[in-house]
Amino acid sequence: MLLAYRCALASPRITAAAVESTEFPTLAEEMEVWAVPRIVVNGVPQWDGAVPERVFLERLLAATFG
Amino acid sequence: MPIFRPEDEVKVRELFDALERPVELVVALGPEETPLHGARDVDFGAETVRVVEELCALSSSVSCRVEEEPAGVTRFPAVLVRPEGEDVGVRYDGLPWGYELSSLVGAVLEAGRREPSLRPESLELLAGLDRDLAIDVFVTPT
Repeated sequence: MLLAYRCALASPRITAAAVESTEFPTLAEEMEVWAVPRIVVNGVPQWDGAVPERVFLERLLAATFG
Repeated sequence: MPIFRPEDEVKVRELFDALERPVELVVALGPEETPLHGARDVDFGAETVRVVEELCALSSSVSCRVEEEPAGVTRFPAVLVRPEGEDVGVRYDGLPWGYELSSLVGAVLEAGRREPSLRPESLELLAGLDRDLAIDVFVTPT
């Protein structure tokens, strides 16, 4: 979670929100959240699990929304 | 019931003492989705206000206020974390409880830094970003 916050604080083009899955069950179902943390970028699920900073950045910048 | 054990409260006070700039927490209240079975007895909005007020009481550098349906917020309750009152897109959607309370504390600590805490090579990558990215990290309180 902190990496996402750090990215948002470092770039005006990035926002970051933690979303408490049990309180937003409809959204969590739409995003097919079966494991946490699930990382969603621009409304599209990207990956599950905590990763090191380098990998997080690589995956974030390679995120696709098709 | 207090949100922190006494020993944790001491620790959080120490961490907040090291903030380099003030941080404002805005609790956004509005229409809530019906949560999963078993959680329906909890007033999530009221509990979020309580948690955030207790956090603010730990440091003069952390302030808080409550706002009804602020612009740009669609999920309620939410906590907006604003360094020096500026909206930089850092948010916690839902009641930050259990293990996830540490995420909110972490957000305050990060927002309280004057310099980004990412590594220089990461900052370099972000400097070249040519599109807007909204990151949602789905978590659970346990």
